[in-house]
Amino acid sequence: MSAAVEARGVRKEYGGLVAVEDLTFAVERGHILGVLGPNGAGKTSAIRVLTTILAPTRGTFAVAGIPSTRPADIRQRIGVLPESAGYPERLTGEEYLRYHARLFGLGKQSARAVAVRLLAEAGLPAGARAPIGTYSRGMRQRLGIARALVNEPQVLFLDEPTMGLDPSGQRQVLTLVRRIARERGATVLLSTHLLAEVEETCSRVLILNRGRVAAEGTVADVSRQAAAPRSARLRVEADSVPKAFRILTAERGIRVVEPTDGQPGTLALTLADKQDSTSMNAALCALAEGGVSVLFFELEGARLSDAFLAMTEAA
Amino acid sequence: MVAVESTARPRAWAVVTGQELRDLWLGGRGLLLSLAFSGLLSALSYLVATNQALNFLEQRESVNLTLQVAIAVGAMLALLGGADAISGERERGSLESLLLTPVSRLELTAGKLLAALSLWIAALVVTIPYVWFLGRGIGIVGDALATGALVGTLLAIFLVSLGVLVSIFAGSNRVSLSVSLFVLLALFAPTQFPTSAQQGWAGDLFLRANPLTAGEHYVGKIVVDGHHWSQDVSWLVSPAIAAALFAVLLQSPVRASCN
Repeated sequence: MSAAVEARGVRKEYGGLVAVEDLTFAVERGHILGVLGPNGAGKTSAIRVLTTILAPTRGTFAVAGIPSTRPADIRQRIGVLPESAGYPERLTGEEYLRYHARLFGLGKQSARAVAVRLLAEAGLPAGARAPIGTYSRGMRQRLGIARALVNEPQVLFLDEPTMGLDPSGQRQVLTLVRRIARERGATVLLSTHLLAEVEETCSRVLILNRGRVAAEGTVADVSRQAAAPRSARLRVEADSVPKAFRILTAERGIRVVEPTDGQPGTLALTLADKQDSTSMNAALCALAEGGVSVLFFELEGARLSDAFLAMTEAA
Repeated sequence: MVAVESTARPRAWAVVTGQELRDLWLGGRGLLLSLAFSGLLSALSYLVATNQALNFLEQRESVNLTLQVAIAVGAMLALLGGADAISGERERGSLESLLLTPVSRLELTAGKLLAALSLWIAALVVTIPYVWFLGRGIGIVGDALATGALVGTLLAIFLVSLGVLVSIFAGSNRVSLSVSLFVLLALFAPTQFPTSAQQGWAGDLFLRANPLTAGEHYVGKIVVDGHHWSQDVSWLVSPAIAAALFAVLLQSPVRASCN
C-alpha cells in the first residue's frame, strides 16, 4: 500500500448494526478527498476507523503508508478534527495547542513556537491569550484545525469542519483547508455536506450511502457514474413565453417543456436523452433564431449535487 | 545567549499530569474542594475541643476521630477526581482529541490518576495543623500523621483507581459520580453497624476484608491504643491489596482499548 490512505474491505459493526460495509478506496498523496453521504451513511464511522479511534470489525487499511496494525504510528502521522470536538473552556488557544504539541513529543520551547505559528496560520492571533470559552464557533473550528496540525501530519481528517458555521465562517474554514493542502502538501479527507464547496475544493470525491461506497473518483467521473437525468431551466421575457414554448416543444432533443410555478418567464425543460446535454445547444440556437432573448440559463444534472442526490436517493 | 532545548521527549504521563494539575488547581476546583474540606475539619475540631457532649473524648480519641474523618473525606475527594477523569472528558467532547495523540491510553489514565491523587495530598496537608492542635503535648502527632498518610494514601489509590475504572465504563459523568459515591457509601456502611455485629470471627473478617474499615481500624490501634506500627500490620493487608489490585485492574480495560 503506497497511497496516502488506502482501505480494503473495511467493515465496522456496532452490535448488529453495520455502519461501514466493504469500504475500499485509495487516495494519493496531496489530494483533497471529499467524503460525502447523507446522515447515517457511515462517514464518521469510516473516519473513526481510519484514524484508529475504532478498530475495524473486518478489513485492512493503511494511512501514510503505515498499516492498521500499528495504530500509534498512524496517530503520529495524522491530524484529525473530530465531529463535535469539545475544548477545555478555561485554557487559552495557545495553552491548548501547546499541550497537544507536548503530547506529540515536542519540548516546551518548540511547543510554544508551534502554537504561536499555528494560531497565526489559522487566523487566531488575537484569540491566543483569551480563554477558549470566549471563542465563536468558527474560531473553535479553526483552533481545532490548528490542533490537528501540531504534528505536521501527512494526512489530515476533517469531519464536518463547517458544521454550524455561517457562510462567512464556512468560507474561512474551506480557504484554510485549501491553503493547508497547497502549502503543506498534506492529503486531506474532508467530510462535509457542502457539495458546492466540495466541487470547488476537492480533487476527488467518495460518496458513501448506507455504509457502502456509492461512487469514487474525480468530480467529473462521479457525475458521469451517477447518470443523473439532465434537465435545464431558462428564463425569457414574460411576453416571449408562448413563443419560446412553441419553439422548444418543436425541438426533438427536448422531451418536456413546462412553466415554473411562481417564477414568471421561467421554463423547466427535460432533455430527451438524459446522458446527452448537447441537444440543449440546438434548442438555444432555435430560440436565438426565433428572436427570443434568453435572460438566464442553467443546465442541471451535470453537477455533483445532482449526482449525490441521484446516487443516495436511488439506493 | 541562545537557550538550548533538551532533545529528550517529554514523558507523556508527566505532561498529562501537569496539565490536569493546572486544570484542577489553577482552575479553582481543587482549591474549592480543599476549602470545603478545611471548613469541615474546622467545625469538627471545634466541636471535639469545646462541645459538652463530645469533649468527654480523651485527647487521643479526638485526634483519632479527626484523622479518620480526614482520611475518609480526603479519599472521597480523590475518588470524585477519579470518577470525573474519563467520563468528564467524554462528556465535554475532548476525549477523542486526546485519544488521537500517540500517547498510550495507559499513560493518559496514569496522568489523570496522579492528578486526582493530588486532592488527597492536599487534604493531608490541610489536616496537619488540626492534628497538631488536637494532639499537642501527648507525643502522638508524628505517629498519627505518618499513619494517616500511609493508610490514606493506600485508600486514595484504591478509590481513585475505582473511580477511574467506573469512569471508563459509565455512559455519563453523572452516572460515574453516582456509582462511585454509592460504592463508597456501601464500603463505609459497616462503620455504622452495632458493635455486636463487628465482633466474633465473622465480624472480624468482615472488618478486615473491607479496605476502609480495616484502614481506619489500624489508625485507631496506633493513635488510640498506642500500638507500634508493626503490631497490627495485618490490618493493612486489605487496603494494600485493594490499592494494588484496582491499580492493576484499571490497566485491563485501558490496554484492551489500545487496539
